[in-house]
Amino acid sequence: MKKKILLMGNPNVGKSIFFTELTGVHAVSSNFAGTTVDFLEGRLKIGGEEYVLIDVPGTYSLNPSSEAEAVASRLMEDGAVAVICVLDATNLERNLHLAMELMQYDVPIIFALNMTDVAERQGITVDTARLSQELNAPVIKTVAVKKEGFDTLLERLAEVLQISDCGGKCEKCHSCKDEEKWLSAKEITGRVTKKNTSSPSFLDRLGLKMIQPFPGLPIAAVVLAALVGVVVFGGRMLRMPLIMLTDGLIIPFLRTLFEGIFAFFATEGGSLSYRYLFYDGGFQTGFRVFYDGAFRSVSYDVYSAVSGGFADILLNVLIGEYGIFVISFQWIIALILPYVFSFYIGITFLEDSGYLPRVSVLFDNLMRKLGVQGGSLIHVFLALGCAVPAILGSRTATTRKEKMMIATVICFAVPCISQIGALVALMGAFSWWMSPLMLLFAIFVFIVTALIAGKIIKGKTDPLILEIPNLLMPNPKTYFRKLWIRMKHFLKDAELPMLGAVFLAALLAGTGVLQMIASNPQVQLVVSGWLGMPGDAVIALILGIVRREMSVAPLLTLYPSLTHLQAFVAGVVSLLYLPCLSVFGILAKEFRIRFALAIFAGTIVSAIFVGGIVNQIGGLFL
Amino acid sequence: MSLYSADKNNVYQVMSVPEIGLLKNLGVREGTKVAIQQKYALGGPVLLNIEDSFLVAIGKDIATKITVGKMP
Repeated sequence: MKKKILLMGNPNVGKSIFFTELTGVHAVSSNFAGTTVDFLEGRLKIGGEEYVLIDVPGTYSLNPSSEAEAVASRLMEDGAVAVICVLDATNLERNLHLAMELMQYDVPIIFALNMTDVAERQGITVDTARLSQELNAPVIKTVAVKKEGFDTLLERLAEVLQISDCGGKCEKCHSCKDEEKWLSAKEITGRVTKKNTSSPSFLDRLGLKMIQPFPGLPIAAVVLAALVGVVVFGGRMLRMPLIMLTDGLIIPFLRTLFEGIFAFFATEGGSLSYRYLFYDGGFQTGFRVFYDGAFRSVSYDVYSAVSGGFADILLNVLIGEYGIFVISFQWIIALILPYVFSFYIGITFLEDSGYLPRVSVLFDNLMRKLGVQGGSLIHVFLALGCAVPAILGSRTATTRKEKMMIATVICFAVPCISQIGALVALMGAFSWWMSPLMLLFAIFVFIVTALIAGKIIKGKTDPLILEIPNLLMPNPKTYFRKLWIRMKHFLKDAELPMLGAVFLAALLAGTGVLQMIASNPQVQLVVSGWLGMPGDAVIALILGIVRREMSVAPLLTLYPSLTHLQAFVAGVVSLLYLPCLSVFGILAKEFRIRFALAIFAGTIVSAIFVGGIVNQIGGLFL
Repeated sequence: MSLYSADKNNVYQVMSVPEIGLLKNLGVREGTKVAIQQKYALGGPVLLNIEDSFLVAIGKDIATKITVGKMP
């Protein structure tokens, strides 16, 4: 039986930072309620004994009002050897109400009074000794982001763990009603806190300004423009050094590596049997056609390889000018990564500062008219990074319908940053106004999708109830750690599927399946007739199933031969088209399989349908 | 009067609240002291400062169902 220690508290009090610091397991933290929606486990050693520390999703109460909150009360019911309850010093009364609920259980408890720095900034001082007396449990002052108070916390935790139960202390409010708990929380807060009515700090004043329509809306426009600027220009600036990195270092290294391996096997003669299996001509010709078509350029090496042996061909397929490794690294590192990195620089700052809930409140009136509440905008912002955490994050939604609406809108109308990078690269290759036009179109799709989904999906959505956190300057250490983890995840999650997708492309071309699909009269009718795209573009539709940016990236190799309209239609199709395979995994897990299939069919049909409409209408004017 | 029609910058006491778990858990109950921090046009929410402690935005459709009165 694992000895569990639960890390509990209201949402957004900093539990995940405690967890990361205490266990070394990284938990994502932000400055808004609901960043942790499922529990995380990590090991913690105290006094020679091993415990499991659990980062519990934040909850306002043990009477849950969302899926994420239900996890918290279930974990409490399951039992633990101790609870670390994190309290927000700026918000003591509400935090103490949860503390009272936790104290009903027969589990020893220790309190971490966190955010004491923000409280001081606001002129709030809490008498910890007094609070400890009132609660009959240890209370330790902490500033989690600065790692202050952790040593004392662990020392006192070790003492608390010596007690097997709360020794009757917890009975104090066992039978009392919710109303009495609130009253008692209020009384204790009054006795232990002192509030100086000092003039509010700059950040507190800015935090209030940001949430007023004026100057909040102009500020929102500036912030969003700054985010777009960081992504577009930051991305462009990063591309140069990264192209140098891939073309100058990574690819030559891999080339030498593969050539070395091949030279080794060539002398061994080990690939003889493979030679008989594959060396039948069709495979090579297929590759040639694939390179010729999809990548619009014929590698001299590939031609020469046709006359060479199988090893040469394979070497070319792997690492030649248009080899699987070359293309996948160029796409991931030199094309997509610059945009991903610059986006996360911006969005991580916004997340940790507490800006996102503010902008959500400003736009609640418009979102409400679309059938969702403003709080959903937080999920949309997260989806601009990646749809997977955004859909998981929607567990904080209070109704099923709202969760489904968020997922639907994200799948249809919110491209992830990988896809945005590829889209910006494609559109930017044509004209400066193509990207803004694409953005307007995406907003249009967003509105229409929300309106239609609101009609189709049964149930109701709850109006907005959203706590606005204190505006904070992100802590550099937490900020850079989060940025680093995100980039690591991106490289890990993206390179392998990309390699697989490019390999799949080569295989489809090599076996002639691609040509078969492309020359199918029905496919030609759709791709060339209805969408007005070159036949080779069908590869984008096939690869787009794997990852979102792959529905655009192959077109970049076709770009000199495309018209403005074709590029825009390609963007439209890609925007609406299937989200990636990982998103399906999440949809199937979070919803019923029927919903995942509906999204699957809906995105394909709408992508082809709307893309065609744009092409047909555009054709009339051009 | 309903919270939605209450005046900006005034302080009120909550008289009645609809049965919504999240509201209760946030501490918006009968007797809670709320200040109207901000109101928004076009059916936007009401921004409350609760007990001089924290800010909560409450959508129009709930705000109309919460009644408030003058502080005693």
